[in-house]
Amino acid sequence: MKVAIFPPNSMILADMIVRSGHEPLVVQNQMKQKVTSPDLDAPPFNMTEDDPISGLKYAAIEVPSGVRGRMSLFGPIIEEAEAAIIMNEAPYGFGCVGCARSSELTVFSLRRKDIPVLELDYPTSRDDTVEMVYKINTFLDNLDNDGEDESND
Amino acid sequence: MSKKNEDIDSEFCHIPMGDGTYRDSDQKDKITRMVILGPGCSISSKELFNFLHLLELPINIRLTCYGANLNGEPDYVMEAVNRVRELDPTHIFIKFRGFPPGDPRRCRAKRGGAREGFHQIEAEYKLLPEVSYALEHPKHVELTQPKKIPVDEFTEIVKEIESKK
Repeated sequence: MKVAIFPPNSMILADMIVRSGHEPLVVQNQMKQKVTSPDLDAPPFNMTEDDPISGLKYAAIEVPSGVRGRMSLFGPIIEEAEAAIIMNEAPYGFGCVGCARSSELTVFSLRRKDIPVLELDYPTSRDDTVEMVYKINTFLDNLDNDGEDESND
Repeated sequence: MSKKNEDIDSEFCHIPMGDGTYRDSDQKDKITRMVILGPGCSISSKELFNFLHLLELPINIRLTCYGANLNGEPDYVMEAVNRVRELDPTHIFIKFRGFPPGDPRRCRAKRGGAREGFHQIEAEYKLLPEVSYALEHPKHVELTQPKKIPVDEFTEIVKEIESKK
């Protein structure tokens, strides 16, 4: 099952999903498409003129092009997501997504989709961290069980 | 320029690197994974490096302070990743990476200062001891919070307990 994560570049969340046998939807895969495909517009120009246009699907034209450009990266993640793990209040360094508004829009879009979502708070103590890992594992195991139940029906 | 696959000349197309040079697009079908050794890992990055070389897979391996970067065809990289995980399943973590190792657009050797992603690894590294502990002692927990009971029911319970005293 394809599981979206937020922050979309978190190592811990992505690693836990791979361990459970699911596929994490991470922003690095989207970046790879951009930086390794041969094109005149390939970076160092981080954004091409097509990116804000494809971001129009998620944000209005008045929204800054930076937000729309980021949404063109997060868009495929939102589209493909079959489940999501969202970590609220994560510090800036936990996932280096430098735009609060695109983050809010991504989380909003994931919540609005009709998919199982696990919302967590960033752990501040040792016990919280252990609890967080248990919750993620339980959530991912439940996804397996749900899938089996549906196929049995 | 057209972005359709059929219009792209894969034989002669190059990627501008930002420093006036161009790189062949040999990375298109390759993937990159970062192997990160958590605190308390039973092997060192040098041992990991030797282990990866002894696998004799056709991949690029780059030794780093936190572990290693692997770059190559998806099948080979994933085989190496799976073999590495078996060394210490609860202390070795794998991170996805978009840019290939040594890419002059992001490599710290060219641009000065740490890569952006390195700061994130630093931040997540602080949580890894607890994550490793939780992976060693797996447990299932209740995800839904217990529901609050109505006031009437609560007063009945209080009365019942008081009557028993």
